[in-house]
Order: sequence, then C-alpha cells, then structure tokens
Amino acid sequence: MNSLLRIVKNAPNIKNIQARGVSLTTQLNLKEIREVQEGKTLTIYGETVPSPREPYLIKNENPHVCPLCALGMEVKHTDVLILSQFLRSDGCMLPKRITGLCNKQQKKISSLVTMAQKAGLMPNLNPANSKKDPSKRFQWKKYNKYFDESTIDQKKNHKKLIEFS
Amino acid sequence: MSALKRVQQWATFARIWHVYDAKWQNPFQSSLLLKKYLMGMHKPIYHPMNDCGDHVIVINSKEIALPGDEWKKRVYFHHTGYPGGATWTLAWELHSKDPTMVIKKAVYNSMDGNLQRRYTMQRLHIFPDENVPEELMKNVSNQIRGIKPVPKRLDHYSEQEVKEFPKIIDYPKDYVLR
Ligand SMILES: [Zn+2]
Repeated sequence: MNSLLRIVKNAPNIKNIQARGVSLTTQLNLKEIREVQEGKTLTIYGETVPSPREPYLIKNENPHVCPLCALGMEVKHTDVLILSQFLRSDGCMLPKRITGLCNKQQKKISSLVTMAQKAGLMPNLNPANSKKDPSKRFQWKKYNKYFDESTIDQKKNHKKLIEFS
Repeated sequence: MSALKRVQQWATFARIWHVYDAKWQNPFQSSLLLKKYLMGMHKPIYHPMNDCGDHVIVINSKEIALPGDEWKKRVYFHHTGYPGGATWTLAWELHSKDPTMVIKKAVYNSMDGNLQRRYTMQRLHIFPDENVPEELMKNVSNQIRGIKPVPKRLDHYSEQEVKEFPKIIDYPKDYVLR
C-alpha cells in the first residue's frame, strides 16, 4: 500500500496539465483531423475547414422549435439521406448538443437510425472493422428486413412533455 | 363469328404470363396479390369451376424482405410421420437451404385447401435470381407492380447526391469532424 502511495506521489503533476485550457488564439473552428505519413514520422494535425453543409442548409423558419420539428416531415427508416446527417462516419449517433434536436426527435431519429443500420441501408457508415456488405452478416442478419415506424414507442416521451407543460 | 369477336374469345381464355419482382417485398403480403393472378380472380369470367388462372414468374426470390426479427421468429413445422420425426425450421434456415421455399409456402398457404390448389401452384414459377429460362420469359406480357418501394442504400447514392441533398442541421462552430 505504501509503495502504491509513493507511485501516486511521484507521478507527474496532473493539476498542471489540466490548467492549460486557456488559449488566446481562436481555437473554436470546424476542424478535420488529418494524418500525414512521411517516412517514419506520422504527423496528425487539425485543419480548419469550411462547413461542407453550409450551402445546402435549410433555414429554420421557426427558431422556437428544433430544425426537424420546424420542417414537420414524416421521416422513415429508408430515408438514409436524411438519417446520415445525424451520424458520425462510424455510424454513431451525434449527441443532442450537436444535433440541436428536441428530446422527442432525437429519440425518434436514433430509433430510425437503428432500424436503417439493422436493415443494412447504411453499410458505409459503420466502424472500421465491420464487414460493410450486409449479405455477409451472421445467420439471419444477412437477409433483407424492414421495419414499421409505428412500432417506435413515443408514449414515454409524450408523458414527459405533458408533465413539463 | 366476326374476326374481332374471335380474337376477343382467344384473348379471354388465353393464359397470360405475369412477372413479379420479389426484391424487398414481403412474401406473405405478396402471396395475397399473386394468388389472385394464379387463380384468375382478376378476370370478370372468374368462377371456382372455371379454369382461367394465369402463370406467374417470381424473380429475385432470394431478396425478399421480412418485417422486424421475423427471420428468426417464424418457424416452419414438418413431420416425417415416424415417432420423433418432427422438425422445426426457422425462416432464415429454410431460406438459406432453398431461397424459393418461403414465398412458395406463403402462396400455398394463402389459398384454400381444395383439389385445385396443387394445379394452381404448378402455374407459379419461382426463381432465386433474375436468370429465367428464355422459353418461359418469352411468354411474359405483363409485370405485376410490387407492393413496397425498394429502398436504396446510402452507398449506392453518388457522392454528389449525398453532398447536395438539403441539410437539416449544420455542425457547431467548434466541432471536430470525424
Ligand atoms: Zn423538436
């Protein structure tokens, strides 16, 4: 036990590392991580890029509600061009603070994304070790399947909304 | 009998060949549609005793779609007749053994069990892919519309289509793309 304490005591000062959060230059920009291999040195850096979505963004006419509620669309799990906007390149759902959706829509979209992934409609948005081709999946998972959007349970969210209002 | 009436008579009693693309279609909903063509129920001259059913060629039966987790929940029962001869086969197991069997059984079970059922089934030709023998395909004069739209995969859209599709949300100013 004593030796363990000594190790902790001798470890580099963690407080100093955390204190470096302040920066005087502009840090907050849309960045893309790039990796360049030159001989034996690997350089990883963040490059500031313009948003690829800006020219195609739909303007939110009603700023009191979230962008998806404002559009009032009925999204299905086969609408992969819409669902892929809420995903990272590994198929992970973006968190609510980044998507800017309300509770109800965020839950609904994540259910729809799960459906689309299970149906193999977005095989290119998957972790790097995935097989990509849905027809090479395990046992029953390799066959085509579809889902019914009305099976998404929104009662729970609905109850919450009533409590708050 | 005039020439027109004669041709009309031929056309009325001729067997028509239909083709049905089963890609991304539910076999159990499709069977209710296909049985009407097989039994001739879409014709005004239909009568159970009137042998007026058509032929249906089903293609791409390998790519049928089932809802939800039905591939591993639907079970096909068979009994050899001997003690202990019962077997239960899951839908995905049956489909991996014979990709025409699920839709064949669906159509068979959608019809009433009478003496005509076996003969009606002989007019159903199922193929797991698009390779249909030429002597069957040359008879075809009608395509049956599918009941469900075929979904398009994201990687089958071109890069430009994905990029230029109207965007609902933009990334925050301090987001790191990944
Ligand atoms: Zn909303």
